Amino acid sequence: MSEQPDVSAFCPKGDVLVIAEQILGDLQPVTLELLGAGRLLADKMERNLKCLVLGYNLGDMPQKLIEAGADEVFVADDKELFSYRTLPYRRVVVDFLDSLPEPPHTCLLGSTTTGRDLAPRISAHFETGLTADCTELDIGPYEHKNKVDPSKIGLYPNCLYAIRPSFGESLKARILGPWKNPQMATTRPGVMTPNKHEAGRKGKITAIPVKLIPEDHRLIVADTVREISKGIKLTEADVIIGGGYGLGSADGFDLLRQLADTFENSAIGASRKVVDLGWIPYQHQVGQTGKTVRPKLYIACGISGAIQHRVGMSKSGMIIAINKDPDSPIFKFAHHGIVGDIYQIVPEMIKQFKEIQSGKGVEAVVGSH
Amino acid sequence: MSGGLNIYVLVKQVPDTGSKAGLNPDGTIDRAKAKRMLNPFDRFALQAALHAKRSYGGKVTAISMGPPPAVEILLECLEHGVDEAYLLSDRRLAASDTLATAYALHKVLNYIGKPDLIFCGLQTTDGDTAQVGPQIAERLGLPQVTYCEDFHMEDGKVHARRIIEGGYQKVVAETPLLITVANSYHPLEYKSFRGAWRVRRLARDQDELKKFIHTIDLDLVSADPERTGLKGSPTIVAATEKVGELGGSCKMHEGQSAHELVADVLKASDLNQFLVGSSK
Repeated sequence: MSEQPDVSAFCPKGDVLVIAEQILGDLQPVTLELLGAGRLLADKMERNLKCLVLGYNLGDMPQKLIEAGADEVFVADDKELFSYRTLPYRRVVVDFLDSLPEPPHTCLLGSTTTGRDLAPRISAHFETGLTADCTELDIGPYEHKNKVDPSKIGLYPNCLYAIRPSFGESLKARILGPWKNPQMATTRPGVMTPNKHEAGRKGKITAIPVKLIPEDHRLIVADTVREISKGIKLTEADVIIGGGYGLGSADGFDLLRQLADTFENSAIGASRKVVDLGWIPYQHQVGQTGKTVRPKLYIACGISGAIQHRVGMSKSGMIIAINKDPDSPIFKFAHHGIVGDIYQIVPEMIKQFKEIQSGKGVEAVVGSH
Repeated sequence: MSGGLNIYVLVKQVPDTGSKAGLNPDGTIDRAKAKRMLNPFDRFALQAALHAKRSYGGKVTAISMGPPPAVEILLECLEHGVDEAYLLSDRRLAASDTLATAYALHKVLNYIGKPDLIFCGLQTTDGDTAQVGPQIAERLGLPQVTYCEDFHMEDGKVHARRIIEGGYQKVVAETPLLITVANSYHPLEYKSFRGAWRVRRLARDQDELKKFIHTIDLDLVSADPERTGLKGSPTIVAATEKVGELGGSCKMHEGQSAHELVADVLKASDLNQFLVGSSK
């Protein structure tokens, strides 16, 4: 048997830590997904899954986190933490990690406007690796042979595998950094699977101190507005109507909105090109630089289906594509394809869908067999 | 010049994925052949920096890190009205991850001078991490506003609006401040004819150009080479694998008219279950 290098120094115990996210006391779905992913990692290493939640008047949220899979929840409950602010949240997380006898093995956050704001601050402070926007996480071994830095050579049995699509390429990259804990990653909302809710599940809840300094208040939040009524909850929609450059102009989205209105729980998505052109706000963007969605139905209108868009929606239950260009890449992965003019097809869809809703169309459809 | 703001904008040259040049048939990129461009997200940061200068006075300095051809995007920044530019170019930076990149760039910022406002694009199209901006802010000990979609200054403070999930936050921040600018900010204005002409003339005389674009290395900014490049990067790409085939076979619908086409889709799919009023 070949001699194995001593790896004990590289294999500190450490648990899996999820940093929860709430907005105005509203626990974000990505936290439940992180607890699902974190549970698998912790079980694989036989470690505990811990969760840190920051906020104000959090009530029964810590217990909810335990029921969602955490073994122990640390709670920073303070008036100053009511709204998310980089510096106070950063201070509490850094102090908390410093207070632990050993750093967590893995630290996970959501790839949200909050997680992507906070995670890089923590990683830069501790000079530890951080991988953004992961779509898969795993634990596994890694043998480092590269001689550029001999101090890193060795076999690492338990590494966080942070897996994400690689830029503009049909590749997935496995990124890791086992040399220093915590190994950090953010995951895309809507990708990981939450644990089954376990009502009454027992776990430890520990309050942690919040000690801010005057410099932490260099930024204050004047207002937090949630536009619930506007309902651009792309990641939660059952049906998404996506619009691309093939619409020709911003007005095309009016037509797509009419189509969306014929569906339950629907939302409007968009390709990056049309967001960059200002046809529709960024919040609607689906794809690599936008949101990752997996609705039950995705109707792509005038979207070519470039990889940057595809990575954000290819897991949709059913994809229907309408495009003028029969060679469009979208027809390579859609389930149903129509080659045609959006301005002829979409109004026809609206018409026939409305007929079905009013009861008229059912016969027509069945009868056409 | 006194009193004006010291404004920085951090920019990166990325491969142009929009262009077919340099794209292999399998969708991977041939980086040697690929066209290069200013990271599209940085265009919003550039607009924000120029807006700050026009509205509140001061000077805009663009900073980039990359191989020598990255001068191209700095020229583009000058054409748009940036006053001066720095390119950190050093072989020892190769294979830097976000942490090592942020380390090097914060050294450049410390070297050039005291910033009031630092603008970054939300993220790059090649790295796609959105990490370097906040990591620089951490190194410099500054507050930050990420996902900023609008801002103005009042009594020396920055009033900004930042995107959050399903809404927005309004924040008031002291300077110095680092801001990452969202796509929903104003698009970059067209460059003025005069600006572009001035720069084109400049570019003809390398000596003259060097007064506006400074190429610098790690030693000059007192950066520790051990903390950059592969050595200074806590993460590595351990493996890549092909993404599995997607979707499967697409059923192409045929028909003489829009009516027939839509009817054919309805017949072949069960999408009517998602229509309003169809749930049990």
